[in-house]
Amino acid sequence: MKAHRGIAAVIACMAALALALPALGQTKIPKVVPITVVINQSPWFASFAKAVDAYEKESGNKVNLDVNPFAGSAEKQRASVRAKEGQFDLLVMNSTWLAELYHGGFLTALNDIDPSFKLDPQVINFDDTAYWDAKNKRNSSKTGVVYGVPINANIGVLYYRADLYEKAGLKVPQTWDDVAANAAKLNSPPAVYGIVQRGARSASDISYDWMPYLHGCNGAIFRDEKAGDFTVTINSPEAKKALDIYVDLAKKYGPPNPGSYGQAQVIQALVTGKAAHATPVIAAWPQMDDPNKSAVVGKINVAPIPHCPGAKSTPTLGHFIGGIPRNIPKDRQVAALAFMNWFQTYDAQVIYAKAGQPPIRKDVYDAPFMKTPEYRWAKAVADSTPNAKMMYTVPEGPQIVSVLELRLNQALIGEKSSADALNAAASEIHDIMQKAGYKTGRLPDLK
Amino acid sequence: MGRPLILASAPLAGARNRSASGDLRRWRVLTLAPAVAIYLLLALLPIVNLLVMSVHDIRWEEGTARWTFVGLTHFAALPADPLVRAGLLNTILFALFSVAAEMVIGFMLAVLVSRAIAGRGVYRTIFLLPILIPGIVIGAIWKLMYNPDFGIINQALTAIGLPGRDWLGDGALAFPSVIVVDIWHWTPFVFLLLLAGIEALPQDTYEAARVDGASAWQELRYVTLPMMLPTMAVTLIFRLVVSFKVFDEVYLLTGGGPGTATEVVSFTIFRRFFTEDRAGYGSAISVIVLFLLALVIVLAIAPARRRMREA
Repeated sequence: MKAHRGIAAVIACMAALALALPALGQTKIPKVVPITVVINQSPWFASFAKAVDAYEKESGNKVNLDVNPFAGSAEKQRASVRAKEGQFDLLVMNSTWLAELYHGGFLTALNDIDPSFKLDPQVINFDDTAYWDAKNKRNSSKTGVVYGVPINANIGVLYYRADLYEKAGLKVPQTWDDVAANAAKLNSPPAVYGIVQRGARSASDISYDWMPYLHGCNGAIFRDEKAGDFTVTINSPEAKKALDIYVDLAKKYGPPNPGSYGQAQVIQALVTGKAAHATPVIAAWPQMDDPNKSAVVGKINVAPIPHCPGAKSTPTLGHFIGGIPRNIPKDRQVAALAFMNWFQTYDAQVIYAKAGQPPIRKDVYDAPFMKTPEYRWAKAVADSTPNAKMMYTVPEGPQIVSVLELRLNQALIGEKSSADALNAAASEIHDIMQKAGYKTGRLPDLK
Repeated sequence: MGRPLILASAPLAGARNRSASGDLRRWRVLTLAPAVAIYLLLALLPIVNLLVMSVHDIRWEEGTARWTFVGLTHFAALPADPLVRAGLLNTILFALFSVAAEMVIGFMLAVLVSRAIAGRGVYRTIFLLPILIPGIVIGAIWKLMYNPDFGIINQALTAIGLPGRDWLGDGALAFPSVIVVDIWHWTPFVFLLLLAGIEALPQDTYEAARVDGASAWQELRYVTLPMMLPTMAVTLIFRLVVSFKVFDEVYLLTGGGPGTATEVVSFTIFRRFFTEDRAGYGSAISVIVLFLLALVIVLAIAPARRRMREA
């Protein structure tokens, strides 16, 4: 009888503990002053707005959203951090202007606001971009400290027409050779093009589209950016191979004039059923299954971005990090951190993922709802993200991209050979890095 | 007694006059000073600031701007910049072709409307419509019209058995396509100024020409054109200046591509100054453009003045 009582008591205690655990796990949100978040109107914005609504409801805190076009958000952030006192409390920073804000010294280390703050171990690393080593001027989780919380897990993936694959009995491609073979079989212009690439010259179109080819063929812009070796390697044989593959795919299986296709045109080609393959960012996914926007609902699937034989799939990061400027009062910094602390929780990320966007936590990808057909993109993103790379980590990045946009576009439209385009790019990037005082050099010209 | 008085009063009157004229000058200076000060503040200071920035390199460290004097380094780098080279050349061609077409079409429309017996107001309203549409909407409208897949232009071509074209994606067609949009957008402005000019011309000159037996062509050639030269010169200068600053049409339609086919210098400044955050270098390009614009105005005014003198 006593033994039975003892067992019952243990069971009762365990049950009570089990009930209490989730409550203990939940972070209590402090009551803080209203904050203003500056953000861009991207395809993933609606999901973020839903998460913000949930935060306001749960915490009673107020969050104002200052929503802008992509370039407008960058400009507003730049102006705000350079002012005596910043207008915005939370900067939603894209990977393309992250380096400018880190190197410019505009952000606050999150532990300077709250010494107990920690990035949840389940939060995806994103090439160390949430960490900043101010002394050595580099992103590093080893030597740096936390400066941000990832807001969006945007990366490039391979979109392909699953219905056409099934009909033709094709296998999901692993390498660019596989893509070429499958594109050849599905190419039926002008109804369907084997592949549609983002080959336009803009602030960042063709360079972003080509970067996974470069990294996925073991090439790079610099020899070892993380170690501070900025020897320009953009005209390496690996880079030439990557550019030849890119141009070849466009010429053989792409639409006429691929050099004018920006992200919007690529997405348009996908949703109108004109593209058998494309590599836009995962943030574009909700449009694929939206019957109001897509003629191919349920017919598209995604896979990790292909690579060259002997290399690995290396998507390019197009993610966003939330950062807190140092030129705002402490109470607003505390309020912004309270939101980010909540945003990185499992529950917040479930809300975010259910609204259609890739979560920033690894464990949410294991949730049962993420295994349903509606979330058929999730596995590819989860598999790809650990290898995802930044395009650049230096504040001169936009200048480098400007060079690449022109030279790659010229190669794509046939104005220059791939060797000439890469040699020109190497020379110009070397010039930029030399003027900025980096340890740099360059490879001999490609023949 | 009177003479000395007269002699004495002359310098007095002169002194009074000088004093009055001095007062007047002072009054003029005083009343004009606020306007001049505001002008200096609003117009000249930004230019001075631009000049100062153009000889500096501006970098941000620890949240603070660090200005480094670099002399004429930025200016020296301009000739080697592929975007600046393409941008300047395209801008000059753009200004020449678009403004020439706008002046010819605008003048023709103005003459036709001025001679219309009925419905002048309706024609005027119809021809003016494009100038009332915001640039961003014009970009959207024409981007849709030029769309190779479902644009109305390709649909019309297909309907009459001609193949459609990629108007903005084809390197050979993109630049003329952007010029067409500019002509569509700005011809109404030229038309409006020239129509106002034609309607203000003295009718007795025409009556005299008709009495002398002048034909319609002779009226146009020897009466309208010479008398319209001042209005045309002002319109031409205004349009040249504005077309030199073209930005929105390129930004919305092509983004400067494909390659550098539609790169214009305003867009290059935008890229270098804002996208790449190179305020010093961007300022140097701006200074050069400012100088070129001044040169354009001088060159445009000179022949017009000469012709006006001859007329």
